[in-house]
Amino acid sequence: MKHQVVRHALQSGAFFLALGLLWEGSVRVFEIRSYLLPPLSAIVRELVSSRALLFRHLFITLEEVLLGFVLAVLGGALMAVAVFFIPIAKRTIYPLLIGLQSIPKVGLAPLIVVWFGYGVTSKVVMSFLFAFFPIVISALGGLAGTPSHLVEHFRALGAPPWITFWKLRVPSALPSFVDGCKVAMPLAVIGAVVGEFVGSNEGLGNLILLSTSSSRGSLTFAALAAVTALSLGLFAIVAGLGKWVWWRAQ
Amino acid sequence: MGVVASTVAAAAPGARFIELRRVSKTFESGDGSRTEALQALDLEVREREFVSILGPSGCGKSTLLRIIAGLMSFDGEDVVVDGESVSRPRQDVGVVFQTANLLPWRNVAANLALGVEIRGESLDSARLAAMVEMLGLTGFESRYPHELSGGMKQRVALGQALVRDPKLLLLDEPFGALDALTRDKLNIELLRIWQAEQKTVVLVTHSITEAVLLSDRVLVLSGRPGKVIEDVGIDLPRPREPRTTRQSPEFSRLVGYLGELMGVV
Ligand SMILES: Nc1ncnc2c1ncn2[C@@H]1O[C@H](COP(=O)(O)OP(=O)(O)OP(=O)(O)O)[C@@H](O)[C@H]1O
Ligand SMILES: [Mg+2]
Repeated sequence: MKHQVVRHALQSGAFFLALGLLWEGSVRVFEIRSYLLPPLSAIVRELVSSRALLFRHLFITLEEVLLGFVLAVLGGALMAVAVFFIPIAKRTIYPLLIGLQSIPKVGLAPLIVVWFGYGVTSKVVMSFLFAFFPIVISALGGLAGTPSHLVEHFRALGAPPWITFWKLRVPSALPSFVDGCKVAMPLAVIGAVVGEFVGSNEGLGNLILLSTSSSRGSLTFAALAAVTALSLGLFAIVAGLGKWVWWRAQ
Repeated sequence: MGVVASTVAAAAPGARFIELRRVSKTFESGDGSRTEALQALDLEVREREFVSILGPSGCGKSTLLRIIAGLMSFDGEDVVVDGESVSRPRQDVGVVFQTANLLPWRNVAANLALGVEIRGESLDSARLAAMVEMLGLTGFESRYPHELSGGMKQRVALGQALVRDPKLLLLDEPFGALDALTRDKLNIELLRIWQAEQKTVVLVTHSITEAVLLSDRVLVLSGRPGKVIEDVGIDLPRPREPRTTRQSPEFSRLVGYLGELMGVV
């Protein structure tokens, strides 16, 4: 058992090592210019030497993403509850939401920047927009998916509506809600980075844009690596918190 | 028999506790087709009586139980429980359905407690321990439903109804999904619990022997739309000891008679 775990780890490790060597080797052998594709070693060196710069931009992006994501989680949960319980909201706000969701948000980005400025706010809004919808849909699905026999059971127990909500609907919607949050987390990062692309003075998206235009390939890749790490890290945190909802397995 | 007579009359054992007068139920489905589940059904259950309901599948037994529980609307004259017309679920009624309605995120103790939690009470540890003991679930208090066998889940569901200390227990094939051996065991436990607690019980079942072993009276329903076609008193002595009761000639006679009525013998 343990033996197998070690062997599987070795297999993965060997694969990625080979991939890295292939990258490094081919860039050198074919003499690819570094603004097109820098050797892996140059990126690693850049990550170390520019770490202060990278961290400064990373924290900006992190702030935008966290704000956007947390607002999307709160707003999405509230919206789902409203749409679920208020019949008129289902006929008005919900179709509006579907309609708005169908507008490509990347296309909205310039407008958002015009409306909310070059600063952090427009990126928070972008991040929110990207994350909001999957959260609403998953929360709504979770609320509606509460097994009807349990709803009837609560009725038989004479439970008032708010008790049925807190003790039945919310816990049974949580697994689906957590799934929605996991989908939304990397989207929130994408939203913020797109916002930074369109108009900003700072943040990892800004750094990617500037370093590309000044042909600093290794810095571009280092910034990309930082965005990826940010996205992965945040996803891992959300997934980790989501483990608290263990009954998802059923 | 009006609503007025109830409170005083109900205190005396054997007073009328459930009364259905000409109750009908017709389901209308989306495409406009109608299913008549119950038709002008009359039924009476006395206080502390154990009544079983037998009938072919689809004849409206679950529907009947839901109506008594106040979970479903009906047509017809009236449904009275403990002197009051039923219009919604009552706090002093416990219902157990065929599939155990346990919350997967709550362990056994918390699932049992849910029965009273909904009334804003909490289940004190002594009562919890006594219930767990009675249900034969000692040592499993902190297990979750997915860690329990089907029979254990049903016992928890029964316990959840019992901690409410209901005057009336409505059981819809509570052990129906279990294998015959487990089912027999749980029936014996149910018999023991009932003899200790003496609630009014209405049990829907498909098992004739189960019905005879446990009941004071067995009602046989016709095929859909359901009507009471036979009311069979079970005059076996109480308290009943499962083995000797099953071996008595009267037991075999009743089982045979009901089997004939149900068309299985
Ligand atoms: N919610 C519902 N909507 C429409 N029809 C229903 C509904 N509930 C029950 N019925 C119909 O009413 C009839 C009686 O159903 P019911 O569940 O009461 O039968 P039952 O006697 O409990 O059967 P079984 O022994 O198989 O559990 C069936 O024909 C069923 O299709
Ligand atoms: Mg049924």
